[in-house]
Amino acid sequence: MTQVPDVYILGGYQTDFARNWSKEKKHFVAMMREAVLGALDKTKIEPGDIEVAHTGNFAAELYSKQGHLGAFFLEIDPAFSGLPTSRHEAACASGSLAIQAASAEIEAHRYDLACVVGVEQMKTVGAGEGGDFLGTAAWYELEAKGIEFPFPKLFGKLGDEYDKRYGLKDEHLAEISTINYANAKLNPNAQTRTWYMNYEHAMSRDEFNGSIGGRINISDCSQVTDGAVAVLLASPTYAKNWADRMGVPLESIPRIKGWGHNTARMLFEDKVAESAKAQYVLPHVRTTVTTAMKRAGIADVSGIDSIETHDCFTTSEYMAIDHFGLTAPGESWKAIESGDIALGGKTPINPSGGLIGAGHPVGATGVRQVLDSYKQVTGQAGDYQVEGAKNVQTLNIGGSGTTSVSFVIGN
Amino acid sequence: MLAATRAAAGGRSSDLLSSRSIKHVVVLGANGAMGLGSGALFTTAVPRVTFLARTKEKADGGLAAAVKMVRSSTVAKRVDTGSYEADFDRVVGEADLIFEAVTEQLPLKQEFFDRIDKARRPDSIVATVTSGLSINQLAEGRSDSFRKNFLGLHFFNPPNVIVGTELIAGKDTDPKLVDFLDEYCTKLLGRAMVRTADTPGFAGNRIGFQLLNECAILAEEHGPLLIDELVGPYTGRALTPLATIDLVGWDIHRAIVDNIYELAPDEAHETLKLPSYMADLMAKGVLGRKTGAGFFGKDDGGQRIVLDPKTQKYVPKSSISRPDLSFIDAIANLHRVGRYVDGMRAFAEATGPYAAIAQKVIAGYISYSFHRVGEVTDDISGIDSIMGNGFNWAPPSVLVDTIGLKATIQMIEKAGLPVPPALANAEEGTTFFDDPQVNVGKFFVAA
Repeated sequence: MTQVPDVYILGGYQTDFARNWSKEKKHFVAMMREAVLGALDKTKIEPGDIEVAHTGNFAAELYSKQGHLGAFFLEIDPAFSGLPTSRHEAACASGSLAIQAASAEIEAHRYDLACVVGVEQMKTVGAGEGGDFLGTAAWYELEAKGIEFPFPKLFGKLGDEYDKRYGLKDEHLAEISTINYANAKLNPNAQTRTWYMNYEHAMSRDEFNGSIGGRINISDCSQVTDGAVAVLLASPTYAKNWADRMGVPLESIPRIKGWGHNTARMLFEDKVAESAKAQYVLPHVRTTVTTAMKRAGIADVSGIDSIETHDCFTTSEYMAIDHFGLTAPGESWKAIESGDIALGGKTPINPSGGLIGAGHPVGATGVRQVLDSYKQVTGQAGDYQVEGAKNVQTLNIGGSGTTSVSFVIGN
Repeated sequence: MLAATRAAAGGRSSDLLSSRSIKHVVVLGANGAMGLGSGALFTTAVPRVTFLARTKEKADGGLAAAVKMVRSSTVAKRVDTGSYEADFDRVVGEADLIFEAVTEQLPLKQEFFDRIDKARRPDSIVATVTSGLSINQLAEGRSDSFRKNFLGLHFFNPPNVIVGTELIAGKDTDPKLVDFLDEYCTKLLGRAMVRTADTPGFAGNRIGFQLLNECAILAEEHGPLLIDELVGPYTGRALTPLATIDLVGWDIHRAIVDNIYELAPDEAHETLKLPSYMADLMAKGVLGRKTGAGFFGKDDGGQRIVLDPKTQKYVPKSSISRPDLSFIDAIANLHRVGRYVDGMRAFAEATGPYAAIAQKVIAGYISYSFHRVGEVTDDISGIDSIMGNGFNWAPPSVLVDTIGLKATIQMIEKAGLPVPPALANAEEGTTFFDDPQVNVGKFFVAA
């Protein structure tokens, strides 16, 4: 059997997540264009070098009444004429699946240079309608139809399940929110970088921080975001040539060292029923994380320097803490109280600000996580740099813990 | 505080930031838009903020509005309110930073500074939010320690949303204080700081109101609706020029352009003269949105109306026909799909009398901006920053880079305007905008 080649990350580009592209009266292709041309500019790669393109997007059919997003690549540059393209969808994990597909093709020796772009334009509609669209990431008929903001309620239930099994305090969720917003202030592309937030506000309960679904308050939520992120993935052959051209050793270029990818049943109650006797509340998420580590040759989370996780709500980050193994199951609060997950702590989570602070353009999030991991391991994360980060792991989740994808990025 | 927030805060400290501390800010004029907006901003970072106004009730009203701006009732816990009569001397004596945001009138501000000078601690900072009055003139007659610790800190409205901020030192201001406040506002208040000279309108208003006033002048012949479309979002701005004047208020517009016209005669002098129809209408009480209508408004039936400057009467918007402006539609369609360079090149190449008007205004903006380098800021990047972050307009350098150097020079020449040496002497291929963090595409709105 021939050896599976490594997949290298040459760089990428993120649009400023604070932008409102509907106010700019733009089509989402403008967003894709800025991200892809930005990635090419940053990596000094000619558009004609790209051999295949993958788009991650959740619901352009709903937000923009437009499908067939892969084909929009050809609107970006004339050099893309004839390029093989495709679009990938798995709710909020769409971006990671686009990366999975591109990686698999490089591993299969089909192509040497792939461009992956994650894109979502969400501000085309109001909050209520957008919340309903997001409900299609759950089993719509059973979990979302006719329900105002179904997802906060589903992730509120995740908190309830923790509470039932182990106990859960609002104070710890508020601290997760506080950290993500504080980190976002250091990230020049973060949507909330100029917003006001602190622990006191996250703990307040009035018209400015009301409940929108059980224990989930406004400060516990990720944002409605317009954004696109592109990364360039390369085979060892292309990466070697590129490294020579850039005058850097191949070893300095980050790789996707490991990946995990699992799916659980759609309904949240089925997931919880399945895990009733298990150690972890969402065992398939745990499997995704540990599989990625194993494939990367990393024994446990002590080999991970930082994490970019899917904090669509504070409860999902609370879940991630023990599922990554930072604490024993049900003891996520310990890593919060110790400061381990804060910037400067043992294993900073979401130095970028995550989905709560940096923003959550659904189909772009998985790609954004990988780009931020790339920035961390190459020392390009600026003010939110984790000192000496060598291995950074992502966790991208679609639905109520339904599709999970994790990558270990390192060099 | 948990380790988490401590670590995040620790990462932002520096020697410069620790050279002083701001634990208490007093805001004077805390019931006005700039006062309460600035107060709102201070509450997000300063342990104690005092809102002062003529009466405590007015200061309380300012606080209530500030809470809504910040969208958190928690900030109110850090605020105390009071009146000039009952609390001024005490709180000004306690404050580390006294922030003056009273009405934009020189004698009134001087009266306040006289009182501050007597009550303040010798080491406290005094900042004014003036948008155009001279910092040196405001400092005249004050004590040495006042003048050393006095500067302009010009936020744009609303301060908690618009991050562009001008920092203006007077001739006696301690340079170390300027450095400190620059760093403090950048790191703790999330500001995009620009240092400007103490010139009329500083940098942002000098350049911004030149374009706005030129549009007001052109509106007399062509009508406000057409001018706002010609110099509309597709030329690199979120809000159209005459709608902007309506929003800021005709009185504010007049104060700014009169000040520049009188004190800074430059190569664009005539474009800064307030059109007489505006003065006539102001005498009748027209001040823009705050009086119900300016260039634009609504009649009693809710129908949109537009000013006809020639007759000084309003006509229904629906009665004004749109000439053939297909070049704008074509450019907007290019912006819509992110082809900004193609769009702005098409702008420079567009032909016909209407395109010529738009090109003249934009060429004027670029020419005027580059000619101000060395006068209002040390380099074009300061002007770029305040036009982008303060006005949300495409910065002049972004326009040059997008249109292309040669085409820009041709456009300026065709408009009969002076070509700035920085452009004339540059080689083709030179790019002028130097902030890689800014997505320049955001300025080109597809409308």
